[in-house]
Amino acid sequence: MHIHFLLKPLTYLDPGTGSFIIQMLMAGLLGGAVAVRIYWKKIVAWFKRKKPGEFEDADPTAIPDELD
Amino acid sequence: MSKRIAASFRDPSGFMFEHKGVIYRQINKSYQADYDTLMESGLYERLTRAGAMIAHEEVDAALAPIPKLAYKVVKPDPIDFISYPYEWCFGQLREAALLTLAIAKRSLEFGMSLKDASAYNVQYFNGRAVLIDTLSFEIYREGEPWTAYRQFCQHFLAPLALMVYRDVRLSQLMRVNIDGIPLDLASALLPNKTRFRFGLLTHIHMHAKSQKRYAGQMVDKDAIKVKMNRMALIGLLESLETTVKSLKAKMVNTGWTDYYQDNNYSEDAFQAKKQVISAFLARIKPNFVWDLGANTGEFSRLASDQGIRTVAFDIDPGAVTQNYKQVKAKREKNILPLVMDLTNPSPSLGWHHQERSSLAARGPVDAILALALAHHLAIANNVPLLDIANFFKDLGSYLIIEFVPKTDSQVKRLLTTREDIFPDYTQSGFETAFCQAYKILESKAVVGSERVLYLMERGIG
Repeated sequence: MHIHFLLKPLTYLDPGTGSFIIQMLMAGLLGGAVAVRIYWKKIVAWFKRKKPGEFEDADPTAIPDELD
Repeated sequence: MSKRIAASFRDPSGFMFEHKGVIYRQINKSYQADYDTLMESGLYERLTRAGAMIAHEEVDAALAPIPKLAYKVVKPDPIDFISYPYEWCFGQLREAALLTLAIAKRSLEFGMSLKDASAYNVQYFNGRAVLIDTLSFEIYREGEPWTAYRQFCQHFLAPLALMVYRDVRLSQLMRVNIDGIPLDLASALLPNKTRFRFGLLTHIHMHAKSQKRYAGQMVDKDAIKVKMNRMALIGLLESLETTVKSLKAKMVNTGWTDYYQDNNYSEDAFQAKKQVISAFLARIKPNFVWDLGANTGEFSRLASDQGIRTVAFDIDPGAVTQNYKQVKAKREKNILPLVMDLTNPSPSLGWHHQERSSLAARGPVDAILALALAHHLAIANNVPLLDIANFFKDLGSYLIIEFVPKTDSQVKRLLTTREDIFPDYTQSGFETAFCQAYKILESKAVVGSERVLYLMERGIG
């Protein structure tokens, strides 16, 4: 992708542009990694049972057992 | 009379305001579609049931201070103490970071995205990190990158990485930089070995480079053919999550965490001290207590275990970390450990000095605990006893304070490296000074030691 052709000069300094572009540059890589990870998890799950995580790394958006 | 909360001005979607002592949020018409999606998609229900986000109730829209903009007015569950990232220990900032990412991921399942990733949108309530900003969500548009990426890196990833790879005290950079640590600064401060960590290489070092390179240029979004599809967005969030999870702070022994094992009073004196404090608390029945110089929270728990909301401040991040670990392990809800240097407490910060409140502005509370603290302030920091009394007086109505005489080994230790220029530091000098700000209600010698505990009430004298 030729990023430079897509850019126009801006009158003020905005670090947001760089944050935007690096995400775009990584998009393919990260998306691919997710796909690989999903399959890898499935393979690993066949071989071992999940270890209970540390308290702080539990999913904070999980509904607590007592409410489920 | 309604008054907008001064810190609440950045987001055009709405703002917080106070009306008759209650905090409300006006939600503007411009945010209507997003708000309705939050409420109707099941995301709100999911996050509030999980305890990940603060709940609210919709109230009469006539309360809105700016009616022509208003869509709704809501009353969020009140939070009794607002704390800031520069007051959190490493574990607390890490928990808040993981909460933010988990909510961002969960939102996608409900067709929304998290548009803000400010550390100030997270608060500690009932022993856990909770998102307090109801307006942080927007309807997800396939192909868009994560708007909050830069903010997440500045508010969470940069300070966490600096704390692990440089020094835990660098959390204080958050106090100087109101919108998180600039990534070029983080990149310059981090050691080179962090360039060999994929997450830190991309999200901090390359991110900073990219910002510098494209600063001053505007993206023509329509011309970009590559889209950040949903899978890529999930990949970005998971990559950030893996990076944050891989960051674990080394415990540094700072000399304070062994404090209880390393002093001269016996187990009996320790128990006697606890009994006196408990009796004082039972007499004044406070709802809210600040324990100043709380160390790992041993005495704070005399209050919090009785259901009293307690904030346990200490200067030492190591002690605060131990306290925090105990909160998590025992799932304690009434105690909040925080890092605070009382000789230089958190100031008012930000726009108009009003975006972040000073410690004193967040008080006063019902009672202050100042145990084995005054000698540090008086002798190690040269603060006159009357000034100490006046400082505590600003913070709380009642004071439970311990006087530690010069003959005590802790004070002797403070005096070994310096000249004794403190002739007034005696029990009678202490009482004379404090009686100018307080009335002494009760005093009890700690059996088995030379220390004395006082219960005082402010405003008399």
